Amino acid sequence: MKTFAKLFSSLRLKSQDCGKAGRGEESLEFLYYFADVFTPLSFGLLLLGTIGGLILGATPGLSPTMAVALLIPFTFHLPATQGLILLGAAYTSTVAGGAVSAILLKIPGAPANIATTLDGHPMARQGKGAKALQLSFLASAVGGVFGVLLLIFLTPLLSEWALAFGPSHLFWLAILGVTVIGSLDSASVVKGLLSGCIGLWLATIGFDDIMGAQRFIFHPSLGGGINIIAALIGLFAIPQVITMFAKGRQDNSAEVLVVEKHSIRDAIREMMRRPKALTIGTLTGSIIGLIPGVGGQIAGLVAYDQTKKFSSEPERFGRGHSEGVIAAEAANNAMVGPSLVPLLTLSIPGSPTAAVLLGGLLIHGIFPGSDLFDNHPDVAWTFINSMLIGQVLMCIFGLYVAGLAARVAQVPQSVMAAIVLGLAVFGSYSVQSSMGDVYVMASLGVMMYFLERFGFSAAPLVLGLILGPIAEANFIQGSMIANATNGMAPYFLSGALNISLIVIVIASVAYSAWMELRSRRYTSKEEIIG
Amino acid sequence: MSMPSLPRIQHILASGVVAAVGLWVASISYTAQPSEAFLFPRMISTVFVLLALWTFFKAVLGWTKVGNGISARQLVNLAPGLAIALIYIFWAAKAVGFYTAGTAAFFILLTLYDPAPHNALKSWIKRIVITAGYLLVMYGLFAKLLKVYTPREIFF
Amino acid sequence: MRHLIASAALALTALTGTTTLAEGYPERPVMMMVSYGAGGATDFQARIVTMTAGNEDALGMPVAIINKPGAGGRVGWNWFATQADADGYTLAAYNIPHFIAQSVKGGVEYSAESFEPIANWGADPAVFVVAADSPMNSMNDVVNYAKENPAKLTFSGAGLFVGHHIAALQLEKTAGVKMAYIPTKGGGAAAMKAVIAGDVMGGVNNLSDAFRAQQAGNVKILGVFDLERNAFLPDVPTLKEQGYDIDNASVNFRGIMVPKGTPPEVIDKLAAVVPEMFKNARVASKMKAGGSPMHIMTRDEVKEMWAAREETLKELLAGL
Repeated sequence: MKTFAKLFSSLRLKSQDCGKAGRGEESLEFLYYFADVFTPLSFGLLLLGTIGGLILGATPGLSPTMAVALLIPFTFHLPATQGLILLGAAYTSTVAGGAVSAILLKIPGAPANIATTLDGHPMARQGKGAKALQLSFLASAVGGVFGVLLLIFLTPLLSEWALAFGPSHLFWLAILGVTVIGSLDSASVVKGLLSGCIGLWLATIGFDDIMGAQRFIFHPSLGGGINIIAALIGLFAIPQVITMFAKGRQDNSAEVLVVEKHSIRDAIREMMRRPKALTIGTLTGSIIGLIPGVGGQIAGLVAYDQTKKFSSEPERFGRGHSEGVIAAEAANNAMVGPSLVPLLTLSIPGSPTAAVLLGGLLIHGIFPGSDLFDNHPDVAWTFINSMLIGQVLMCIFGLYVAGLAARVAQVPQSVMAAIVLGLAVFGSYSVQSSMGDVYVMASLGVMMYFLERFGFSAAPLVLGLILGPIAEANFIQGSMIANATNGMAPYFLSGALNISLIVIVIASVAYSAWMELRSRRYTSKEEIIG
Repeated sequence: MSMPSLPRIQHILASGVVAAVGLWVASISYTAQPSEAFLFPRMISTVFVLLALWTFFKAVLGWTKVGNGISARQLVNLAPGLAIALIYIFWAAKAVGFYTAGTAAFFILLTLYDPAPHNALKSWIKRIVITAGYLLVMYGLFAKLLKVYTPREIFF
Repeated sequence: MRHLIASAALALTALTGTTTLAEGYPERPVMMMVSYGAGGATDFQARIVTMTAGNEDALGMPVAIINKPGAGGRVGWNWFATQADADGYTLAAYNIPHFIAQSVKGGVEYSAESFEPIANWGADPAVFVVAADSPMNSMNDVVNYAKENPAKLTFSGAGLFVGHHIAALQLEKTAGVKMAYIPTKGGGAAAMKAVIAGDVMGGVNNLSDAFRAQQAGNVKILGVFDLERNAFLPDVPTLKEQGYDIDNASVNFRGIMVPKGTPPEVIDKLAAVVPEMFKNARVASKMKAGGSPMHIMTRDEVKEMWAAREETLKELLAGL
């Protein structure tokens, strides 16, 4: 670990010579490479990646993972720096762009945007679609810039942190996620938990990742298990399509979503008035985003849940509260910077996107770690700086997109249903060119439409689907290690990190139960139990 | 006890199906081999079954409060669209080709759900133009820009 | 309606400019399935070795990589054996000993007989790694620790019945010790993270990934599970040199195959063209830059290698 401290000592803020930071002075080295972002090719690619990413992210059915995977061939032909800039920009802005379809259509572009639907879509239904979009892009930019600054200044510390999470900690973290399930977007706690259980079960379908045993494969399409992106598209997009069908052939004008104009200045003011949501969202996102293999997908949901729990008016969440949108979007962009720490310092890709970025470096013979920062600082710092500038560009173009929201909302229902159906089919197919994924997408979607009519909901189900494999794999790995060493109890229950996580889990459950009791006292019993 | 209303019967049916799935999952989890690979499914399915039975009994007793069910009118409205969507996804996309089937499904859905009159030539032209635009955008996006490798089309 | 579909199709034909009458194989882009995730070692190398496929002296058509990851490759190969079209337009990357070990162990729908090899592009040996601050400095240290503490030495690898696991089994068998092999979810990267973070005491990993981690100062490489030392790590002795009689059964051979039933003309054409495609200078330089050892073999050589591996693995896995 000492090597990292030495390696990154160059980043430590030394004194007042920040302004004229030069190569020899070793302080604030990244400033030296800012100009490199503005070469015509680099800046052009940054713009292209940002705008393209926003459009792709905003398209229901297309996911960030897919967009980045489809860009791999380009990185093979571009110089290292420019390849990374393109990938980084596309990654950042697809995550932020996913908020558009999450808010306007209740179709999250990626698992990261699920939490955005919870308050964003109710806002859109109340005519506040433009406001929700503006808040989401502003919060994304604040969170995103903070995340990249952490990456710039605290990398050595963060890489130690990222490594600190072993199997037992990841298991407890997944359990923390599970405790969120019951209270998430469901009028009934029991049905929320049941939806979560269905998701946890669906996640076990296919080959078990560690033992390789086949489980619940009752149709050949399930051989590869349930792809999370295909499931996400099916569970959110298809019920929307069927809901539009169910309205029948009627006058469109009555059904078009109204989007009231909202000034950007008001949105900024609104966000300043919600510092708690912004802070909790940004911090939770940065911390959870850091953890390899887990972070990105659940950062938004955990941040949303924490903000709700710390709020003085938790009952407003889920009904179009702007704090919900701010927390979720601040978190899912704050995680982008820290999620690259394990890759850039330890050469360990913590997410599929990071794996693709690794390929973009290796193809040019650059190894992440000391080689990257010592021998190719231009590549490293230009890339990191481009993400900083990319966040700002993303915010500017995002706010412009928010202004166009009214037009998207005016598309007649019949056309919208047909478009979303087509995108769902193409989108789920293109994840891994598999017809099986399309069948799974459609089956889950039709099932979800009917379940929703009876009080079940998609968000806890997807959360179960995401958390299931994390909890299971880490439990099995942890128990294997525990059995070979000191035994289960010491391994899972001792150590500062384990204990802190367990305390947070218990606090989270206790708080939910207390909230439940309190609201029961105020409202009639009937409405809550369901 | 009064005659159960339509939503109540629907609730019993829906939660019954969920409970049946839960029982099926649990029965497999407790019997399948190798049993160590089914440790986690056993844990999940136990909770699954308990919650599902709870929900089912509540539905039987008429205590369910959440969810409005589906009205007959909604079913009639959604049936043709759902049928077209399912035919498109489970048969036509692979058999006829993604772009051919997708365009046909798009046009049929538009015809079924667009409120514009079916006896006016102008509305047909509008639908055809929208469909052509859809085909162009989808083809441009997936085949040209994203280079997605789709199954062969029937006509080319 | 019928007319409409036809005209739409006509419009599309005009757009793509494809014709069904083109002669010779391949007449359209070829798809290649990789049963590991995008960005993984196999995916990365598969993309490099096929990047010149579109050249006139190679296939003349580009190769599109499709990832079907899951369960140590089982998901992808199962799909390939049961659902892929045997028309020459669907290729797959193979990893030996992974898929043969999995088929010997059972529970999958493929075996070496389900596929036809085309050519081999790389050989990535397994290595034994420990964290940079570990007190162990040689394989003897590892084995001695395992002897004193039976079944207590935890070490990670990418999964069960993949190359890393085979190496682990060979080590336990040859040295006569019992150790605790911890399979990770998420491939070699996750297994490497476990070693660097100290979740486990050591690990078996890919030479290419371990080489990178060693360059970054995170791990020590104690031994190579191969017949000879590797050009990337001339200072690291093989297991054999350290007194453990272990052959190259765990070396991860990567190459291209097609499903059984692919037309023989197509196989012949591929078998002639593909090894030449691998020999392209640009491919070699990119592979070297990424730290990936190349090892080109023709169809006949691969056939022999598959048969030999199957025999070794049946013997090794017989007792499990």
